[in-house]
Amino acid sequence: MRAANETPAVSRRTALNWLLGTSLGATVAAALYPVFRFVIPPQVAEAPVNRVLAGKLSELPDNSGKIFRFGSKPGILIRTPTGEVRAFSAVCTHLNCTVQYRPDLQHIWCACHNGQYDLQGKNIAGPPPRPLEAYKVDIAGDDLYVTKGA
Amino acid sequence: MRALDKLWQALDERLELDPIVEFVAHKVVPRHRHSWAYYFGGFTMFFFFVQVATGILLLLYYRPTAEAAFESVQFIVTRVPFGWLVRSVHSWSANLMILSAFAHMFSVYFMGSYAKPRELTWWSGFALLGLAMGFGFSGYLLPWNQLSFFATQVGTDMVSKVPFAGAWLLKFLRGGNEVTGATLTRFFGFHVAVLPMLTALLLAGHLAFIQRQGMHVPASLEEEAKKRKPIRFVPNFMLREGVVWLLGLAALAALAAFFPWELGIKADPFSSAPAGIKPEWYFLFMFETLKLLPAHLLGIEGELLGLGAFALGGLVWFLVPVLDRGGRVGRRSRAFLALGWVVLAYIVGFTFASFAGVFK
Amino acid sequence: MTRQLANATLAILLAAGARAAVPPAPAGAPGKHADDSCIGCHAKLDDVRLRKPAELATADIHHAQGISCAGCHGGDPTSGDPTVAMDPRKGFVGKFAPRAIPEMCGSCHSNAAYMLRYAPNIPTDQLSQYRTSKHGLALAKGATDVAVCSSCHGAHGVRPPSDARSPVYPTRVVDTCARCHADVALMNRYGIKGNEVEEYKKSVHYAALTEKNDLSAPTCKSCHGAHGATPPGVDSVANVCGTCHVSQLERFDLSPHKDAFTAMDQPACEACHSNHAIGHPQDSWIGVADKQVCGACHSAGDAGAVAAATISGALSKAAASEAAVRERVGRVKRAGMLMDAADIKLEEAHQSYVMAEVEIHTVTVARVEKQTQAVLAATSAADKDAAAAEAEIRFRRTGLFVSLAVIAVAMVTLALKIRSMER
Repeated sequence: MRAANETPAVSRRTALNWLLGTSLGATVAAALYPVFRFVIPPQVAEAPVNRVLAGKLSELPDNSGKIFRFGSKPGILIRTPTGEVRAFSAVCTHLNCTVQYRPDLQHIWCACHNGQYDLQGKNIAGPPPRPLEAYKVDIAGDDLYVTKGA
Repeated sequence: MRALDKLWQALDERLELDPIVEFVAHKVVPRHRHSWAYYFGGFTMFFFFVQVATGILLLLYYRPTAEAAFESVQFIVTRVPFGWLVRSVHSWSANLMILSAFAHMFSVYFMGSYAKPRELTWWSGFALLGLAMGFGFSGYLLPWNQLSFFATQVGTDMVSKVPFAGAWLLKFLRGGNEVTGATLTRFFGFHVAVLPMLTALLLAGHLAFIQRQGMHVPASLEEEAKKRKPIRFVPNFMLREGVVWLLGLAALAALAAFFPWELGIKADPFSSAPAGIKPEWYFLFMFETLKLLPAHLLGIEGELLGLGAFALGGLVWFLVPVLDRGGRVGRRSRAFLALGWVVLAYIVGFTFASFAGVFK
Repeated sequence: MTRQLANATLAILLAAGARAAVPPAPAGAPGKHADDSCIGCHAKLDDVRLRKPAELATADIHHAQGISCAGCHGGDPTSGDPTVAMDPRKGFVGKFAPRAIPEMCGSCHSNAAYMLRYAPNIPTDQLSQYRTSKHGLALAKGATDVAVCSSCHGAHGVRPPSDARSPVYPTRVVDTCARCHADVALMNRYGIKGNEVEEYKKSVHYAALTEKNDLSAPTCKSCHGAHGATPPGVDSVANVCGTCHVSQLERFDLSPHKDAFTAMDQPACEACHSNHAIGHPQDSWIGVADKQVCGACHSAGDAGAVAAATISGALSKAAASEAAVRERVGRVKRAGMLMDAADIKLEEAHQSYVMAEVEIHTVTVARVEKQTQAVLAATSAADKDAAAAEAEIRFRRTGLFVSLAVIAVAMVTLALKIRSMER
């Protein structure tokens, strides 16, 4: 029936309808694809809030320290000779070198210019002009969580 | 096809859809040389729909607290697949929506469409624009960056100038004496619950009024509209709107991809205000005017006077359908036409001058 | 000291005697100046030279601690009669001769037991240090144009060095020294050039002090000593610099330069870094060409020159790589990509680079190269991240163009459809 009275005008209309349907469909697909991708969270499924799992208590003996990453900046976890756990920014306040724990000095120490900080992060010797920024440490079982003061 | 017909039949039996079909089939849009103005309302609505959709998507990851807001937006734009696109589209669409709403309002104003019997449409539209600006103001703070933090501080500070209720209003908006995490929580509530609800109600009214009354044709164009065949709403006008909406979609995609909305740096309430804090562009004309006013004018605080003037101006604008008595019989006074041009020139002029740095 | 104690005793006795007439403030309490006639009279004098001390005195740390004018100048502050109050028989001294000042200050400041009562933690060896200083030695030989206590600390209105208004506060001490040490004529008399402060102000140390307001940055006294001010000798230069630059000293001690410099009587650090105008070290210094530091001892072709060339090459390669990758990562960041991981790697690269610069002091090629290799490893990892991000940007652009094309086709066909419908 259709084939019999098919005229150029009709076939053009069919082609137009097909093109319209396809292009609108493609537009919808182009709009929906990002949406479908968006709703599935990435590997790290949470926004990094000011809190990070910095280490394990069992891996941090008394009188020792450990560097961890806090975002793109290093932090330092220390365990004092008396067994307390504390955390600070590991960025030296002098020239931004990364500080380390010196068990022999029982201090936090910066290798670049011999800056020293005590176990509270206070600058006590050498060039550092300010104390290290202190973080809060939460101990959950064996896990040590460090929180930046908000 | 047969299944669809059956479904229609079933629905028709139960709901009596005939009058609606009848209505839709006969709904027309007048055709004249300013018919283009009829597209702005729908265009604004398109951006509103985009806002709802992208807003819901952002809600999947956003966290409305001072500690996590900035980080969660950062997470969205950097880690979530296409998060950069969704957030950028949300920001751009918000701006285009307000721009389109302004265009809609001025085109309606200059065609005199506000006059009786369409006062309610004008008033609901006025309220919708206010809500849209409220969306903009509250949404601006949500990424909790330095610029938005201080802009909000300045913006909310203005309500404290309101006589008698100022202090109360300030506390109501800020959730305290200062802009803090409490303000963020409030603004989030306004932005995703209060304002959408009010907007939905008003939008339903706004649309219902238009359906009830049909499109308005200005007196000067009536001749032309009578001569030309009107456009059928379904499907012709709808398809035309489709073209415009697709244009909006393309604009959003291009803007979002080439000019991604910046995130800035996290707000620090204890730092000093950065130089050059500015509100969103649609508040600029008010912002710059208030800055120009001297500290004291006629013995009153300049800012208070300015805010009072804006309130009065807004009231006049709102009451135009009542004040413009000639409008209801199609003979609009020249004074109101002139007022429209002055207001348009003032808003456009100040906004552009602000961008050009004239007020520095 | 004796005068001070005598005065205190006298004051108490007099106060006890005068109890009926004037109710005395409790002895020894800070701010006990009610019966001090010095300030009362001097503040009213027309001669600014005599009035000024009285005005300054109220801001003086000694005054705040209850030590009155008579604590240093002697006399009888309880008397309103100038001839009695300033009676030389009561120990009054008007203007001190420079030679008398260190001894006068030291009469209290060297007395550990006395100082303990006011400031238990300040040292009491200033006078003995001063006697060993160039200033003190010249003073002992009869010079009168050398610094004494008051030259640096001020005579009246003395504030503790931790007070930002004190002339010996870190940011002000350089200019205090310069009051004499920038006087070329005066300095030449002592065989000193007089340009040292000017030179120092070009240094990285001064920049740290003034631009970064780093109060721990070394000033004159950090290397020369404060009270015992003396230039460090050739063999102690390394120790002086090493108090802050520990790592560099440690490396230098490992290097063949240590013994060689000693043998040649070269001042360790100073040989390359100079003394006062210590600039930010440049990698371009390494080599034997003009304006390069190795050329002072080495010449082209010898083992030292070859090593210098190798070290310089490794450093510049690492620096160029770091700069290039940083630039690329920055470009990607400006395009809106998150480059956290690359930033960390660049941070690592930079740390290794700083370590490489520290290792230069060993003048051992292998040790420097170990660090520059680490730089290259880190930068190439960061570069990979940047490349991946660039690919992502290209993908976004492509995606955008594809969807814009799709939308455009949809718009055109829609328009055609409308036209065909309305025809």
